[in-house]
Amino acid sequence: MNLFVDRYPEEAWIVRAALASSFLALFLGGIMGLIQGLHRTGFLQIVQDSTYYTVLTLHGVSMVLLFTIYFLVGFFQWAVTDSLDRSAEDIRFTKLWYFLMVAGTVMAAAAILGGFTDATNLEADVLYTFYAPLEAHPIFYIGLVTFVIGTWLAGVDWFRSWWAWKKEHPGERTPLRAFMVMTTMLMWYLATIGVAAAILFFILPWSLGLVDSVNSLLTRTLFWFFGHPVVYFWLMPAYMMWYVILPKLAGGRLFSDPLARIVFVLFLLLSVPTGIHHQYVDPGIAEGFKFVAMTNTMFLLLPSLLTAFTVVASMEHGARQRGGTGRLGWLRSLPWNKPAFTGMALAGLMFAAAGFSGMVNAGMNLNYVIHNTLWVPGHFHLTVGTAVALTFMASTYWFLPQITGNGVFSQRLGLVQVLLWFLGMVFMGNAMHRIGLAGEPRRTAEPFYDGVTFDTALGSISELHFQIALGSVILTVSLLLFMAHLFLSWFDVASNPAPDNGVIPEALSGPENAPIVLENLRLWTAIALVLILLTYALPLASIVSANGFFGSAGTLVGTAYEFAVSPFVGVVA
Amino acid sequence: MEIHRYETIWFAASLLLIVGFIGTITYGAVGVGVEMVDDSGGTVDPDNLGSHERFGDTGVHKVNESHYEVNMIAVHPSFIPSEIEIPAGSTVTFYMTASDVTHGFKLVDSNLNTMIIPGQVSEITAEFDEPGEYGFVCHEYCGSLHHEMAGNLSVVPEDEWGGVDS
Amino acid sequence: MDSGTESASADAWDGEIETEIGHDEYDPYGTLTLIGIYFVIIALLWVFMYFVEFLGEGPTVM
Ligand code: HEM
Ligand SMILES: [Cu+2]
Ligand SMILES: [Cu+2]
Repeated sequence: MNLFVDRYPEEAWIVRAALASSFLALFLGGIMGLIQGLHRTGFLQIVQDSTYYTVLTLHGVSMVLLFTIYFLVGFFQWAVTDSLDRSAEDIRFTKLWYFLMVAGTVMAAAAILGGFTDATNLEADVLYTFYAPLEAHPIFYIGLVTFVIGTWLAGVDWFRSWWAWKKEHPGERTPLRAFMVMTTMLMWYLATIGVAAAILFFILPWSLGLVDSVNSLLTRTLFWFFGHPVVYFWLMPAYMMWYVILPKLAGGRLFSDPLARIVFVLFLLLSVPTGIHHQYVDPGIAEGFKFVAMTNTMFLLLPSLLTAFTVVASMEHGARQRGGTGRLGWLRSLPWNKPAFTGMALAGLMFAAAGFSGMVNAGMNLNYVIHNTLWVPGHFHLTVGTAVALTFMASTYWFLPQITGNGVFSQRLGLVQVLLWFLGMVFMGNAMHRIGLAGEPRRTAEPFYDGVTFDTALGSISELHFQIALGSVILTVSLLLFMAHLFLSWFDVASNPAPDNGVIPEALSGPENAPIVLENLRLWTAIALVLILLTYALPLASIVSANGFFGSAGTLVGTAYEFAVSPFVGVVA
Repeated sequence: MEIHRYETIWFAASLLLIVGFIGTITYGAVGVGVEMVDDSGGTVDPDNLGSHERFGDTGVHKVNESHYEVNMIAVHPSFIPSEIEIPAGSTVTFYMTASDVTHGFKLVDSNLNTMIIPGQVSEITAEFDEPGEYGFVCHEYCGSLHHEMAGNLSVVPEDEWGGVDS
Repeated sequence: MDSGTESASADAWDGEIETEIGHDEYDPYGTLTLIGIYFVIIALLWVFMYFVEFLGEGPTVM
């Protein structure tokens, strides 16, 4: 047997555990999503307005931290083990990082869930961005840090495998999947410096009462230092699937392996020095810094645009190998009856649409039009909520048999599920964008105000609200189908045999054509660091010099100075 | 490295798109003169706004015939002031800060949009040529009553304007 | 491997390939077409958003 689970049963266990955690979070988050979609449009309000924000915190954290990152670690574990064809260096270490992540999750979840009851003083109604001085129970921040440390150790685990592999294969090119994992993790290490600093130096000491205040703009800037690259952290596993699995599902080969490597290196270089684009309308940051972030962001479009070409070309290759002809007629020869393929292809299509709203977000002064309106959730439900989430779900129809040894329950049910997700998102995504253009704010339980009306160019706001509610319901149906199907397949209810199709065909243009310098990850990391210093050193320095490390109530420099001079003052007096 | 001719074409087209975007934005900033909210408003001590020369005195202030200033404090769940009246044909500079947590300000049907962050002053200037009614809302979650945080800006004909501190 | 069960054929490499096409004989002109259409749509939408929805709309920060 060629199945991953037969070759690497212990690693497969970790992959399964991570995927189970991931989909549990997706399920929980999805139910919260439904509550939100019905609540803020006024159709059904089963929670108090004030509880809406607890729900929204749970939705944000479950979806974009837990669902995405648990899936990522599971998938990356598979990618590393399978592509290097070697067991984990020490499976106990692998288990250690997974359980650290779980421990962090439990702490953060306890804090958030505590917000639903008055019985405890636990609460964390701070949304997933936890902008200080909104304050959560310290256990929330400790949980987040523990979770992130778990991911750091996961990276260490994979690097150890890679280094060991390199020793045994001197001079060979790193297999594509392992290369993608290493570049992504390097980006992650750089990115998480931001949140780690924000929490460990400022927010946690403040929530524990060790310091009196925070510099809100500083912690916010450190959050977005992390907050932009984290979107690429979610996206990279989806990109990996589009590059590695989608061509195979289409019956073709990856068009260009070297290009895939270049794209991942570009993400390593450019993901972090763009975070200020989330702060285009923040006070306290000079326009020049915003302009630099804007140009970096625009150049970060490049790897995604190049990806679009390579991935579509790989699909076209598959279609033509399967007998497709004509300029666009080949589209009909793609395996649209397979949920894994169709889901990923539709996810890619949504990502193309999201590219448009993303360009508007990135447009610095154009950002005035949509900043913090419902347009923004409209945008990221197409990116992370579909391009990533639908790719993860769809890939499961191919991936699950590799790690459980069981065939999936029903391809047809799977097809219905991915189509419904796409349809639901068409309604919800479109309506969110248009409502946002009319000016309705995001993160708002009840966006109905006296004396404030929102006008749309076409149709009415209430029509669009209906589309959001409808979309939410369709998405939830799709999600329930997915969970049911997952359950039936996992526990092998239909006793379908697992297809023996774990092999990934070689790229049309192979790794041997890639410039050797691409393998030099030290070099790329060093350049990434320089770019980060260039874009962040000055803004951070100016924020700190204007308002101190801890806000106006006491700057670190000021406090240290007072501390140092006070004895002398005492003596003189 | 093997690079297909179409890949080269697409690479060039992508660069064109990127440069075109940056060009448009630069035109908006330099040609049209759209300014970003920035650090020009300076900083304040959020715990002592009452004694601050600007925020101790919230509301509309006339600088000269055509220029007005509006000093605003955002504090969950209200804007102070939340009802603002200014005469048509004037240039208005808003100074906003927060005394508790981070808030947002969006004037509906306009491009006025800023974060309001404790310790920082958001300064934005715009021209209001025609009379009209605008609503504004807080667009950043600031607490359990965030959804109630809104207000109105009336641009009235010059001769109907009732004076400062409306 | 075109086995009978529905789920066993999740992969188009399993017996559905008619002709293997190598790097040099493959001409992705369909992709170029699609991506060209995308380019035009994006460019037009950008112009619409910037000049109509943004610069054409209400008071602006100056
Ligand atoms: C059942 C499917 C889903 C529904 C019905 C749904 C619904 C919603 C709604 C209505 C909002 C806006 C809330 C507001 O701003 O007031 C929202 C926010 C959000 N959603 Fe979803 N969503 C779904 C799935 C997802 C998925 C799959 C992801 C990501 C993987 C996701 C990530 C987010 C994030 C990050 C926010 C913003 C949270 C915040 O502003 O703090 N959602 N969702
Ligand atoms: Cu971003
Ligand atoms: Cu608010």
